[in-house]
Amino acid sequence: MATLLWLQTGACSGDTMSLLNADSPSVESLVRGGSLDILWHPSLSAKPAGALGELIAAIEAGTQPLDILCVEGSMITGPYGTGMFDSYRGRAKIDITRALAARARHVVAVGTCSAFGGIPAAPPNPTDCTGLQFDREQPGGMLPPEWRSASGNPVINLAGCPVHPNTITRSLALLAQDQPLELDFLNRPRAFFNSTVHQGCTRNEYHEYDIEEKDFGGRGCLFFNLGCQGPNTLANCNSDLWNRRSSKTRAGVPCFGCTSPGFPRDGDLFRTEKIGAVPVALPLGVSRAHYMAYKNLAHAAAPLRIKNRDMET
Amino acid sequence: MARTTLNVDLNRVEGDLEFQVDLDGNRIVDARCVGTLFRGFEQLLIGRAPKDGLVITPRVCGICGTAHLYTAALALERLAQLPVPPQATLIRNLCLMAENIQSDLRQSFLFFTPDFIHPRYAGQRLYPDIEAAFAPLKGKVVRSTLAVSRKVVELVAIFGGQWPHSSYMLPGGVTRGASARDLIDCQDIVDQAIEWYEQDAIGDSLDNWLALDSSDAFFSWLEADAHAASAIGLLTRFARAIGLQKIGGGARHFLSAGAWHDPQRWAPPYTDGATLMPAGIYHADGARLEAFDQALVNEHVRHAWYRPYPGGRHPFAGETVPDYQPDTDRYTWAKAPRYGDLVVETGPLAELLAGGDALVASLLALEGPNTWLRQFARLRRTAHTLHWMKHHLAELAGLIGTPHYLPPPADAFQHGEGYGFVQAARGTLGHWLQIEDGRISRYQIVTPTAWNASPKDSTGRHGHWEESVIGVELADPADPIEIGHIVRSHDPCLVCTVHFVGSGERHRYGV
Repeated sequence: MATLLWLQTGACSGDTMSLLNADSPSVESLVRGGSLDILWHPSLSAKPAGALGELIAAIEAGTQPLDILCVEGSMITGPYGTGMFDSYRGRAKIDITRALAARARHVVAVGTCSAFGGIPAAPPNPTDCTGLQFDREQPGGMLPPEWRSASGNPVINLAGCPVHPNTITRSLALLAQDQPLELDFLNRPRAFFNSTVHQGCTRNEYHEYDIEEKDFGGRGCLFFNLGCQGPNTLANCNSDLWNRRSSKTRAGVPCFGCTSPGFPRDGDLFRTEKIGAVPVALPLGVSRAHYMAYKNLAHAAAPLRIKNRDMET
Repeated sequence: MARTTLNVDLNRVEGDLEFQVDLDGNRIVDARCVGTLFRGFEQLLIGRAPKDGLVITPRVCGICGTAHLYTAALALERLAQLPVPPQATLIRNLCLMAENIQSDLRQSFLFFTPDFIHPRYAGQRLYPDIEAAFAPLKGKVVRSTLAVSRKVVELVAIFGGQWPHSSYMLPGGVTRGASARDLIDCQDIVDQAIEWYEQDAIGDSLDNWLALDSSDAFFSWLEADAHAASAIGLLTRFARAIGLQKIGGGARHFLSAGAWHDPQRWAPPYTDGATLMPAGIYHADGARLEAFDQALVNEHVRHAWYRPYPGGRHPFAGETVPDYQPDTDRYTWAKAPRYGDLVVETGPLAELLAGGDALVASLLALEGPNTWLRQFARLRRTAHTLHWMKHHLAELAGLIGTPHYLPPPADAFQHGEGYGFVQAARGTLGHWLQIEDGRISRYQIVTPTAWNASPKDSTGRHGHWEESVIGVELADPADPIEIGHIVRSHDPCLVCTVHFVGSGERHRYGV
């Protein structure tokens, strides 16, 4: 049974909500089945007041082993490097996080905030936020790039705003069983971050034939005009549906690229930046000349049922 | 006389908060509610494109992001005087209803009732029943709550793609209208939620339960075995056995901006009052309801760590400039919102008092505002919400194929100001924004917890939570569980505002 402590830093609790939404497996089944021993979770623990302080002290002293440290929220370093925009008992949360990370077997950044900085780190970054081991795209956040936990892994980044529910529980279950988690170039587990959001989107046929919407509310593709980042964002939103039902792009909401370290990007989030008629950011790995040639042909080949937007999404 | 200061650590609130209380013996004589988290959301928005608030503000709070999204869309619609098709308002309401039910149930059975599983209460006659129902992650009610709360947010995913944190409400409507299949799926979700509520929460039919209209009717209802054994029955009997109906009164003035926008009336020129349940300020003394006027909202920073200004400011003149000053008489990152010069409470209790729930008004008249009633009102509200969901789905069935989005003109968001309110899970949520040259120039958010968890204002009046614990006699100052009951009965969402502290042994003598 793996011991787990969940710490919230500059967070909105969205990743905790995702944890509660997970159903395959659910958090209660991981606990009841004996995979996880949750020493502390700010929303779920019934332990009396003061228990967190004692627990932190015991982990720091080495008398309480800690297998998994989950951190939800941005690392707030302001004002003036003190971290006191976010404190617990007069101690900056970043100091507590650093001390616990030094003792934990695995450190898991739950959500884009703790992985990369996230929304609170967007310009002008009023509270001087960073991620645990990345500062947006730059390696090295609160912890340096070469930092490793006791297991030999860097901080494991479960990116997303919030993280996909089952990505949390599946990752925790794998760590609890000491299964290896292969990580990508941003230290995200490849098992959950190795397809584009575009893959599986029910608007794909519209994209394929270059039928692009100019305003919201329709069935066409959102990539060319409406800010969708689906073709260049790695996440399982369309291959493992949210809340067992759908995804943002299926519902007509652009992908904002929330599993990427640059989330949220600076420009208008509901508009695509373009050079001429073609987006600046093309689908991952695609060259501009080839893409333009393909799109021109595709547009010419579009069947009426697609041009007329007859197809359900 | 010896006076002691206790720092109280509370978890199971959405975020953290430090609560410092001064004791005279075991009696709380002063309290300071300390918000320990500042994230600067209002500053992040300045200079951004107007619609970016629809992506940024839901991330203020993971548990009530739908409420922020809805409020942000309303503020832009009022600013640009945009029409909204009735189907869109129905879909928005349904999504907010689903989110609120999720929140009310999780708060009740994941955050509030775990305090009942406490060694102090082990001798209570009902304790074994409480444990079987409410033990964290294992109790019968807790497990069914997890399942039904997961189910009900599927409705949000049908229209928004995911819950939490989507941006499917846009000024002018929603990104997706309801299909016939959506309608049936939503009906099924709502029917399952009603079945859970009837079987597990009340042990009765929704109609019987909503027909209860007086304290006498309620207490006799509670005597039937099925009702007494239900989750609400058990919670009520145990809460009252440990005296929660006698503590935690607080401000005695209640704020509700009115629940659920009326699909027919949410339209330009956006004069106030377009809600299905009435808005208002309800005064416990005299049982009086007064109209709500947003112009009277103002925020003080005298005791908060922000650049000082005198008195209170309306959000359109508000500012959020951090100015961290430890070891002064300023003590929190939370501002102090006031309604005129009144300290007010918001939440489900306020919503039902303004909205005209006769049972809740009768219970308030009987015992005054209290911790049990506040928690009870939250679960009572779930019944109203389920009732409205059925009503909305019936109306939606007749609107399939009608417009769900009216694109705003290209120059809709160049200049101007707008505001919006919804009743979020925790009470009244307001956004105020101003736009200059097509960019956001000011964005001010007043969350429900900002109202409840406010510090002292410029004239020294305590915030509502502070008031609600002052005077309470603690059985054991080393384990002040009474404060946990009182504060958690408000469903504190401290990520919006603040975080709960505890337990440093700081002693102070004299004063």
